[in-house]
Amino acid sequence: MAVNESDRSFDHPLYETLERFPGLDLATTAVDKVLTWGANNSQWIFPMATSCCGIEFMAAAASLVDLDRMGSITRGSPRQSDLMVVAGTITVKMAPRVKRLWDQMPEPKWCIAMGSCAISGDFYRDIYSVIPGIDVAIPVDVYIPGCPPNPEQLMAGMLRLQEKVNLKRAGLWSPPETRPETGKTIEPAIKRLLQAGRDERITAAQLDQAMSLMLPAVDLPPRPEPEPEPTAEADAGTTEAPAAPATPDGGHHE
Amino acid sequence: MTPVALARAPWPDPYLNVDDYDPEADLMVINLGPQHPSTHGVFRVVLYLDGEIIIKAIPHPGYLHRGVEKLCEKLTYAQITPIVDKNDYVAPMLNEQAVNMAFEKMLGVEVPLRARYMRTILAEIQRVASHLLWLGTFAMDLGGALGGGTSVFMYCFRERESILNLFEDLTGCRFHYNTHTVGGQRHDIPAGWAAKVHQTLEAISQRIPEYETMLEHPIFVRRTKGVGVIDADLALELGLTGPLLRASGVDHDLRRDAPYHIYDQLKDLAVAVESEGDCMARYKVRVKELRESIRIARMLIDNVPEGPISGGRPIKQPGQFKAKGGQVYVGIETPRGELGTYLIAGGGKMGDTPYRLKIRPPSLHALACVPYVFPGHSLSDAVAILGSLDPIMGEVDR
Repeated sequence: MAVNESDRSFDHPLYETLERFPGLDLATTAVDKVLTWGANNSQWIFPMATSCCGIEFMAAAASLVDLDRMGSITRGSPRQSDLMVVAGTITVKMAPRVKRLWDQMPEPKWCIAMGSCAISGDFYRDIYSVIPGIDVAIPVDVYIPGCPPNPEQLMAGMLRLQEKVNLKRAGLWSPPETRPETGKTIEPAIKRLLQAGRDERITAAQLDQAMSLMLPAVDLPPRPEPEPEPTAEADAGTTEAPAAPATPDGGHHE
Repeated sequence: MTPVALARAPWPDPYLNVDDYDPEADLMVINLGPQHPSTHGVFRVVLYLDGEIIIKAIPHPGYLHRGVEKLCEKLTYAQITPIVDKNDYVAPMLNEQAVNMAFEKMLGVEVPLRARYMRTILAEIQRVASHLLWLGTFAMDLGGALGGGTSVFMYCFRERESILNLFEDLTGCRFHYNTHTVGGQRHDIPAGWAAKVHQTLEAISQRIPEYETMLEHPIFVRRTKGVGVIDADLALELGLTGPLLRASGVDHDLRRDAPYHIYDQLKDLAVAVESEGDCMARYKVRVKELRESIRIARMLIDNVPEGPISGGRPIKQPGQFKAKGGQVYVGIETPRGELGTYLIAGGGKMGDTPYRLKIRPPSLHALACVPYVFPGHSLSDAVAILGSLDPIMGEVDR
């Protein structure tokens, strides 16, 4: 788990403005309460819904349990989200994508691991293609056990997350979140799975390909180049052209 | 939007070389997925666009490959049921039934009549829940998460919750039930359950006309009519089954053509067939199946005979069932089509595990038509077509 607390940025530009004026700095407490209230009740969710738990997440977002009443709107873009709910099995093929999307989310951000597969891999953990829990890739704030958890359990997890956000913003210590099955915390280290050298059969090139969203290369036919004008100046230009790659940016900077 | 004819017959070549299309065109490559709200799971399609028109689509499944078939080779027959629940997580009841029917056929276990009635009823109620979830998510694909599609999504999930409550009363779980065993059922019908089924299904059948009224909206019609046409030849060529095949005009339903459970006693089973083959036809077929499933379940729930629910002895040790060898195939009709289970017995030292368990998922074959159907449509229609195929990635990748 082990969230680096220095990475969690709660600074707001409003604080600097208030502290600049004597007398107004007393208002920072009130402003902080408002910001905490706002952060707690507008946790926009980025659903990393891969499998069964995603259906229960949809049920939680639907009419009976209704996550919307906590201000939690489901967003399709990581850049607009505060909270990632990892719902479902994460495979080796999917884990780099999850990591990339997590890196695209703005701070402060939170993560909920929903269901046994996201926590530990469940009974797929020994399978060659499944990673044993999402917390080996990204830090997890709240674990919700179950296969799959009920929507009510997801709601309880959201409430636990709110308490955690309250403590963090107040600068207080909050108990570290442990894996429900082992009672231990774990460092996120996706390199442990995807490190070059871990398996001799995996080459660095294969890793690069796995870590990047490789598209199949499309070799379009080259467009016909315009024929050079048959003048003396153009001929002089073409003779100088091979020298250009040696100093590619020289002309632009001058 | 009416698809653009790409002047290729009889259907577009999925292995079309992009270079042959138009050297002067500025092709745009769009990566739809793997994490996209309307891909119904983790499914990735690489789309080559000429303007707004798709000229080539390459599907990339495999982001949820969990090695289920390999895992099943380690487990005994009684242990496999909760594993296959997770394959098609929208209709887990039918996954359990498929593997257990294969095991019963292999091991020669007789299923009592009461259990067969219960299986039929559970299958039909599960079909209603699955189609309701499809209807809600399909409307959300078309209307957008914050657009008008959310209304249908909310209503459909309200009905689905009431069905999940029925299953919770019976098995104790909302899904992943583990209620089928080799030779029968694990949980008997609780007292007062039949009345509850009647009440729930009656409420749903009264509300289906409301959804149809909502979905008669001109925008819905324009986004589904004539979009994503799969003709019967292509459907048969690709091995499509279920509502996709019936929407293309092929009258094929395993419940009637190769009956199992007690479907052979249902002489008046109406099979919904449409001939257009577009998204609207698939929608119509599924809504008709909703009504038919409700009718069958309500008709059977009053006639469940008394008797035991399990034929064999109660399972006390995992390796109770053993088979030396042999192979069977069992296909049943799930909400998405034919779910086949091909079992070769004789694995393990004692012969108590499968040597090989091959699952034939209907969604995998449904996704096979993506490179044939997408070209010629606009990007927004691709989402509508993908939604109408109703793929479940858990059973595609397994």
